[in-house]
Amino acid sequence: MSETTRQLRFEIFRYNPEDADSEPHTDVFELEETPFMTLYIALNQIREKFDPGLQFDFACRSAICGSCAMMVNGRPALACRTLTSDLPDKICLYPLPVFKLIGDLSVDTGTWFRAMVERTEAWIHERLPFDPDATEERMSDDIAAAIYENDRCIECGCCVAACGAANIDSAFLAGAGLNRIARFQMDPRDQRTDADWFEVLASEQGVFACIGMMACEDVCPKELPLLDVYGYLRRKSLATALSSREK
Amino acid sequence: MTQTLVTSAKRQLAHEIISGGTGLVLALFMWGHVVLVGSILTGERGFNWMATFLEDYYIAQPTVVAIFTLFLVHAVFAARKIPAQLRERKRIADLAKGLKKSGREKVATRTAHSPFRPHLESMLWIWQVRTGMIMLVLGSFHLILLGMDVFTPLFGDIVGIESSTSMARVGAGLWLPYAILLLCVEFHASVGLYRLAIKWGADLWMSRKTMHRIEQVIFWLILVIGGLTLTVLAGWVEPPLAFLLDGAAP
Ligand code: HEM
Ligand code: FES
Repeated sequence: MSETTRQLRFEIFRYNPEDADSEPHTDVFELEETPFMTLYIALNQIREKFDPGLQFDFACRSAICGSCAMMVNGRPALACRTLTSDLPDKICLYPLPVFKLIGDLSVDTGTWFRAMVERTEAWIHERLPFDPDATEERMSDDIAAAIYENDRCIECGCCVAACGAANIDSAFLAGAGLNRIARFQMDPRDQRTDADWFEVLASEQGVFACIGMMACEDVCPKELPLLDVYGYLRRKSLATALSSREK
Repeated sequence: MTQTLVTSAKRQLAHEIISGGTGLVLALFMWGHVVLVGSILTGERGFNWMATFLEDYYIAQPTVVAIFTLFLVHAVFAARKIPAQLRERKRIADLAKGLKKSGREKVATRTAHSPFRPHLESMLWIWQVRTGMIMLVLGSFHLILLGMDVFTPLFGDIVGIESSTSMARVGAGLWLPYAILLLCVEFHASVGLYRLAIKWGADLWMSRKTMHRIEQVIFWLILVIGGLTLTVLAGWVEPPLAFLLDGAAP
């Protein structure tokens, strides 16, 4: 890396809903780029050097906790995983849409995800009462791997923020919610039937509210196969509807 | 053991099947349509033979009615996903624009491992809505015009389509709305088929990249054939495939 260091210009959304005097606006900060600088590092420098009041969320700094998602030049991304070297000199940071704004870049994803989990009842509904003496039931490798794949979601909210349907109706289950349904629907330990799932899946906020913009998969920082999930769920609900007719 | 399914949920599924199904049939029909109108590429004789054949065997008449019906049903059911409020439409258009631009800027320092995957499909959806709206106007006009041509002696000397009136109409200025309609239909249909394939089977067939490539090839191929057909119909160029019918009986 021999080129001259870049001067980065950050345009950051500022607004504190708690403060009656606060007006939504953007503030501009300039920083010198350093090698392997992430947005996490940059934001901390801005807070140290220019504005200790700047609000943004971080915990793990390694793309695991999902708290640092924000709109980076128009696209939702994890700030801790985004290198400034991937971005142009001008970097616009906005909070994720859809979620409730806490202040500046910080949003409350928790309320949305909790409502989603309650609506989809995203926990195992046991088929049999727990027997501590019984040997564990076997599960095929394929199903275990598929469940594991869907379970990698870190609830950062990027897919929700990038979704056209969710931006209009925040109750839409979106990538994260439908992914959760697929995860439990394919789990053989769960007692819920396809007809039970159909009710959630094909509800007004379910898979058929998707308008097929496909952004969820493209922005997912964990690269979850969300479009595969959608295809699976659509076919599953069609099959459920057809088989309920035959009988 | 079966349980009855919730009615409202069944309705959601039904709406999706209707909008997707009508879209699929319309898009496939448009490929056939290109071949039918494309008969003008062999000259007026080929075109008239095709038109008379389809009318004499009563293929054209029910098809016009069926396509118009599908067209209107599709418009109603597909439009249920278009946000009602101007503010909402602006919201998703802005979102789509931002997503399309991001990750495409020229950045000298960007590595091969950039997590920014290019994204276009949101903007394609916005354009599908826009082209759909244009088609609702121009397509209705076209279908009513052709309906009148097929069912009444209003145009030309006979009940039905004939090359002389078609060419006169197109040459006199209808080429402009038809060119716009062609562009809109081919864009909307090829993107629609791509979207439909992803929605129902992203994990089944080819990779998304391959499907998008196929979509683009179909779009350009049909657009070029359609564009050529239009210029022949307007009388600007001679039918390039006329040699095919050289030896045929009159
Ligand atoms: C009459 C005017 C039309 C309007 C207003 C319209 C509107 C739309 C809209 C908004 C969608 C997206 C639906 C969704 O996201 O689920 C769509 C999808 C589609 N349209 Fe149209 N359209 C029209 C005409 C046509 C025509 C003439 C064709 C065929 C050439 C066509 C083929 C399709 C296909 C294949 C899809 C994909 C279906 C899906 O994704 O489920 N449309 N249309
Ligand atoms: S800080 Fe945990 S994902 Fe970025």
